[in-house]
Amino acid sequence: MKKVFFLSLLLLFSGCQKEKITISGNVSEAFYVDNAGASMRVLVQGNTASKTFILFIHGGPGVSSYFYDTKYISQNIGDKYGIVYWDQRNAGASQGTSNGGNLHLDQMVEDLKKVIEVLKFRYGQDMSLFLLGHSFGGLIVADFITRPGYQNMIKGLIDVDGSHNYPLNDTLTRQALLTEGNYQVSQNRNVNDWRPIISYCNAHQGNFSLEESQQLETYATVAENYIDSIKHINMLNLVLKYSIPNEIPLTAVLCNLLYTEDSNFNKELAVTQFSTSLNIVTIPVLVLWGKFDFTCPQALGEDFYNRISSTDKSMVISPKSGHNIIFQDKKFFCDNVNEFVLNHK
Amino acid sequence: MLKPGTFILALLYCTLCQAQYDSISVPSGRHFNLKLSYNSSLIYPGMSTGVEYSLNHINERVLKNQKPGRDYKKERFISGNLNWYHHPYFHDNLYLTAEWVMRRTRFTGFISEFSAGPGFSRTFLGGTTYKVDDAGNISVIKLAGYNYALITIGGGFGYDFSMKKQLPFSTVAKMNLISMFPYNSTIYFRPVLEIGIRYTPGKSKNKVSKQSVTISK
Repeated sequence: MKKVFFLSLLLLFSGCQKEKITISGNVSEAFYVDNAGASMRVLVQGNTASKTFILFIHGGPGVSSYFYDTKYISQNIGDKYGIVYWDQRNAGASQGTSNGGNLHLDQMVEDLKKVIEVLKFRYGQDMSLFLLGHSFGGLIVADFITRPGYQNMIKGLIDVDGSHNYPLNDTLTRQALLTEGNYQVSQNRNVNDWRPIISYCNAHQGNFSLEESQQLETYATVAENYIDSIKHINMLNLVLKYSIPNEIPLTAVLCNLLYTEDSNFNKELAVTQFSTSLNIVTIPVLVLWGKFDFTCPQALGEDFYNRISSTDKSMVISPKSGHNIIFQDKKFFCDNVNEFVLNHK
Repeated sequence: MLKPGTFILALLYCTLCQAQYDSISVPSGRHFNLKLSYNSSLIYPGMSTGVEYSLNHINERVLKNQKPGRDYKKERFISGNLNWYHHPYFHDNLYLTAEWVMRRTRFTGFISEFSAGPGFSRTFLGGTTYKVDDAGNISVIKLAGYNYALITIGGGFGYDFSMKKQLPFSTVAKMNLISMFPYNSTIYFRPVLEIGIRYTPGKSKNKVSKQSVTISK
């Protein structure tokens, strides 16, 4: 009787982990990639029959890829291509035990490489794969494509409000906040809100500590609220809207986010930059940016764009977006991504 | 001035402690319960089954102004439970818990309870899990998942059908908070709602006779 019970349990759980690879126009399936103490969730959605995939590298660090999985993206990109949502280690639905010691950028890039290898193993070596890095995801893709030979694993790169150079990012955030803040004050708009931001930027002029960097990021996020022409997104509403349909493990996402946000890993990131090695990049690149992005200002995107050696590259600016162009100007985002992938797959 | 005040306070305290209620320990009330419940968090299904063994059983009558008030049955149990929930694309969690349960049952049948205890969790990841070695060889890990230490704490309400009718059943709705660690070098919390029934084998009418309660004056 006992044997039957345990055999039933084994069958039940092994059934959940049975390898399922679907090639069709409307797929939704997840698998995990185990590497260096972390099992990272990879969700594949959309049209896998197209043999063309866009791999989203989420921001944060510690924010999950769950939040990029919106109905609009499914209907406007997923109908044409496969979309891959990867939860980085210590983020989202990724799981493990005492693995905090492996939480660093170098490991994440190796994780990404293994995720790509598994994707090709599942959906065919002849697949066309594009990387799309947003915010902190821009740092991972910048590290990835500047490693010898790695860029050959993908067909193209889409950099969306990404950061490839954290020290430069801080300097440009301060400049952007000062410039826009002074302009808004001169126009007598949200003066009381802008004044403390301007004062902080005037008092902290460079060589930023981690605390200063985090404060600038906080101001950069709230400053978007003081620009009337931006479409404002309530992230909490977004989470609540998709928590049940997307089966988000909310407490796991929150625990991972709190741990990662507070880890020493951020000290390492604060001094990380890839500007000097971007010249080796030759693959097609699309740079998408929000005009009012203070978190990763437009000048950061221009630095990335100007430094890569790709001959096939373009930079497009959304006039009504801040840092979250994916949600703030979704049609603009989907149209540009679709066009770029169509031309380079 | 202080002495009469202290004396009055001491008197009041003694009145509260001794005169307001009386308890009778009923060792013969020891029994065990079998439990089966739906064990879910939000929309994610699961099951829980377990056994409770009664350690202590006290009938208690609270007096108000020297008049009979509410009657309670206070019980202490240790329980062993096997629990499972399924969260698609995340994990299946099979966990064992050993809990200390404090339960108070009014003689109307209404139950309130609190429980806490340690446990052991084994998760099974919600999808095929691949391992890539340094040479690029890919293999599938069978029954991939993790072992975690677990602590559960919970409270809930229910109804004991044996109090008013001769039915050896009770129902319970209980909210548990399980914490698993080390989970990605931190602690993973998950609220779990448990709705189920308990069966007490061999339990007959459970009404406590009036003789079993002594009222102090």
